[in-house]
Amino acid sequence: MLSLCANASAPEDAATARALVASLGRPAPARTPFAEARFMKMLDKPLVVSGQLAWLGGDKLERTVEHPTREVSTIGDGEVTQQREGRSSRSFSLKRAPQLQLLLDSFVALLGGDASRLEQAFTVQHSADGADHWTLTLTPRDAKLAQTVSRIDIDGSGNEPHCMRMQEADGDVAIDLLGAYAAKMPATPTRDALAALCQGG
Amino acid sequence: MRRGRLTLLVLWLATLAVLGLFVTRHLTVSTDLRSFMPAPTTPDQRLLMEQVGEGPGSRLLLLAISGKSDEQAAALSQQLAAALRKDERYAQVLNGSFDIGALDDALLPYRYLLSPTLDHQALDAAYLRDELEQRLDDLSSPAASMLKGLLPRDPTLEVLKLAERWSPPKSPEIVQGVWFSPQHEALLLVLTHAAGFDPDAQAQAIDGIQRDFDALPAHAGASVVVSGPGYFSVVANTQTRGQAEWIGRISTVGFIVLLLLAYRSIGSLLFSALPIASAALAGIGALVLLFPQVHGITLAFGFTLLGVAQEYPIRVLSHRRAGESAVQSVRDLWPLLLTAIASACIAYAAFFASGVSGLQQLAVFTVTGLLVAGFSTRYLLPYLLPDRVRDVANMGWLIRARRFVDRLPRPRWIPLLVAVATVLMLVFAQGPFWQNDLSALTPLPRDLLLRDARLREALGAPDVRYLLVLQAPDEQGVLALSEKLEPAVDALVARHAVDAVELPSRYLPSEAVQRARQQALPDRAALTRALAEAEQGMPFQSGLFSPFLDDVEKARSLPLLTPQQFGSSPLGQRVSAMLMQRDGHWLGLGTLSGVHDVDALQALARDSGGDVRLLDLKGAAESLVVDYRARILHALLGATALLVIAIVVALRSVRRAWHVLAPMTLATFLVLAVERVSGVEISLFHLVALILAAGLGLHYALFFERDTGDAAEQRRTLHATLVCVLSALLVFGMLAWSTIPVLRAIGLTVGLGVAFHFCLSILMAPHARQD
Repeated sequence: MLSLCANASAPEDAATARALVASLGRPAPARTPFAEARFMKMLDKPLVVSGQLAWLGGDKLERTVEHPTREVSTIGDGEVTQQREGRSSRSFSLKRAPQLQLLLDSFVALLGGDASRLEQAFTVQHSADGADHWTLTLTPRDAKLAQTVSRIDIDGSGNEPHCMRMQEADGDVAIDLLGAYAAKMPATPTRDALAALCQGG
Repeated sequence: MRRGRLTLLVLWLATLAVLGLFVTRHLTVSTDLRSFMPAPTTPDQRLLMEQVGEGPGSRLLLLAISGKSDEQAAALSQQLAAALRKDERYAQVLNGSFDIGALDDALLPYRYLLSPTLDHQALDAAYLRDELEQRLDDLSSPAASMLKGLLPRDPTLEVLKLAERWSPPKSPEIVQGVWFSPQHEALLLVLTHAAGFDPDAQAQAIDGIQRDFDALPAHAGASVVVSGPGYFSVVANTQTRGQAEWIGRISTVGFIVLLLLAYRSIGSLLFSALPIASAALAGIGALVLLFPQVHGITLAFGFTLLGVAQEYPIRVLSHRRAGESAVQSVRDLWPLLLTAIASACIAYAAFFASGVSGLQQLAVFTVTGLLVAGFSTRYLLPYLLPDRVRDVANMGWLIRARRFVDRLPRPRWIPLLVAVATVLMLVFAQGPFWQNDLSALTPLPRDLLLRDARLREALGAPDVRYLLVLQAPDEQGVLALSEKLEPAVDALVARHAVDAVELPSRYLPSEAVQRARQQALPDRAALTRALAEAEQGMPFQSGLFSPFLDDVEKARSLPLLTPQQFGSSPLGQRVSAMLMQRDGHWLGLGTLSGVHDVDALQALARDSGGDVRLLDLKGAAESLVVDYRARILHALLGATALLVIAIVVALRSVRRAWHVLAPMTLATFLVLAVERVSGVEISLFHLVALILAAGLGLHYALFFERDTGDAAEQRRTLHATLVCVLSALLVFGMLAWSTIPVLRAIGLTVGLGVAFHFCLSILMAPHARQD
């Protein structure tokens, strides 16, 4: 599939990517269910959570986890605030969580259909297979951020993103299934199974 | 003769040059206001003297960066903080970003002894299980990336608990990782090493901040403002110095023009400056020899008081007769001049008895200066003055002026009337008599104060007025007392009696508490077992937490953390500033922010049985000023007695002494009365100015009282006195227009004094009627 994109001429590729991003735009507030599997070196098995992601407009994201424990995080204005049931809320700077900054940048740009914002933060590669499926590969332009997150792959079809895979530089990876795909999270996910799910369903 | 004159001039100038060289080589001027203060007598005053300069409150500078977007301002805040942390002028730099590196690697295992976790919680399987479950939640939350690195070493996040405990009690809002005010300024707190009320040192510290800020690559378009006690002392200092300087320049020019008009001789003018120059240099020379450091205020006051000495050459110049050599004129004048010099010296020597080092220096400086000015006027100056002079006695306007003065009605009831009016004015004047608040004399622009209040509120920075003082026989006692106090203090904060209280034990627990926490730490085997049990069924890699096991094991055998050891780390400097040894016992300082209920705090202190006191720095400062004034007044009383004796002895007549002392005394009280009636509260500076005016007035009275039986000589006396009065009015009248109260106080008092002394000396002169 990726070989296809290698053949595509660069300007044309950029134009398609822009058109695609523009088609993804939704009016705020936009909500979508998500299920996330996080594969970390320090853990024997992935951590799986599910809930709802919402773009509240502007630079604000809200991530509500409903399972396994309820937790609401707001990301925006340079800050992250976490509210967990039965505990006092915790806030910290986005600066200290570069992954979140990238998540925010990519998500807001995608949901806002704002291709130029996306290109500001990332180099964007677009690939599509013959059928409906496409992949946007985002590489952080900021060298420092690239030291923690090496790239983000977003898979989808039509104007629906299905999957967001964040590859961290230390080998950890977080895979988010979005929209209707959120229900497809297997009970014991593996990286390969999820990658296959994302790339072709 | 001519050659002799030249030799004398050269010798005199050479001596001055040598003296000048000596003085510039050895003079060290101290600007620390405290050395001008009296020695404190009560423990509160002593603490005040230290706190005024050295206390954490007064060394704190508040910084605000504005003019850029939040993101850029935050970046500037981080860069500025990094630059300032490298500079040894600053003890602590806080900008809201928690820096794990602040607790350096060697101290990291101490987190189990410093954090209160172990007081109510054992490191057992149940607790660890709960914590690890929370960490799993954290790892699947947005905080994951931040905590990931910390986890293997610190699964219970003690470092974060300490960071929370050590951040200022009422933190500002954090935007982009650093403190921000509601006005979108990035905020920083900087603790300087320099004392707060040492304007020179503070100016350097503030200059360093500005310089570091200007050196930041992205600073263009942004600005940093500084506030705090140190900044205020700099502002007050430059303001006062600036105004004093331009006023000084104008009045110097006026003074030269006046003398040229009076004597029409540039030579006389230049030569008459020599005694004053010698006086100033000799005065400083004496200070350099006797004191290790000379206070800046001593010099400022000293030059003011030395103004009296300008009279000596003026008297000589005015009393020159045509055809008579200057030496002869001086000889005739000398007995009276000597009386004048001696009485001024007695008045100024009174400062020496005050027991305040700044005033003692003032006494040494002025007495030396007066003697040098007087004797050089007698024994050196006349040999330099030109032989031929114009006798002022024959000037037409002077003859008319003398006639006018002589014709003035001099009813005997005038002194009585003035005395009654003075008493009435003093009795019926409104408002407090004394001004005890020294800061009222160098007030700061209102917008600076408002800005300070705003930043202080936003930063939750400690109040500079109140302090909790904890006393115990040793450091550990202070820390234990501080721990004992914490629940009561927390209750006060909950009741909103005060917004926040920072006690030393917040940063460093006593050894007893550390020991208890240390003993509560499980040994390696037990902890490994507990951890294994807690990890059951959890996805953590095996062996992941071995750095945690290592740290706990290390913490079990650590020597307890002492204030000295902690003080050598950046974080511990805070504690060092809060603990001090005094007279065989130790004091701990608790800083207060947002005091709403002073009575509640006082009750807290009362309940402690004397171990805890609420120190009101403003109250202590005012009591110090009252003390100070009492000393000056006592010294003056003594000086007055000596002065009366000296004048009686010199004039060999009680009646004549009365004619000299009565107008002087009356005029002095008249100045006081007029100032009181116009609502002026009398400060130390008014007192010093009154003394100067009295010194000048004494001269006028002495010369007017002199009965020469020679109308021309009386005219010369009037001429000399007029020149003296006008020059004093010129110099001090200018100061009276200053917008700075301290300069206005001196200018107004001396200006009024000179006018009153002059008028009363003329009106009460005994023999003018027969003239």
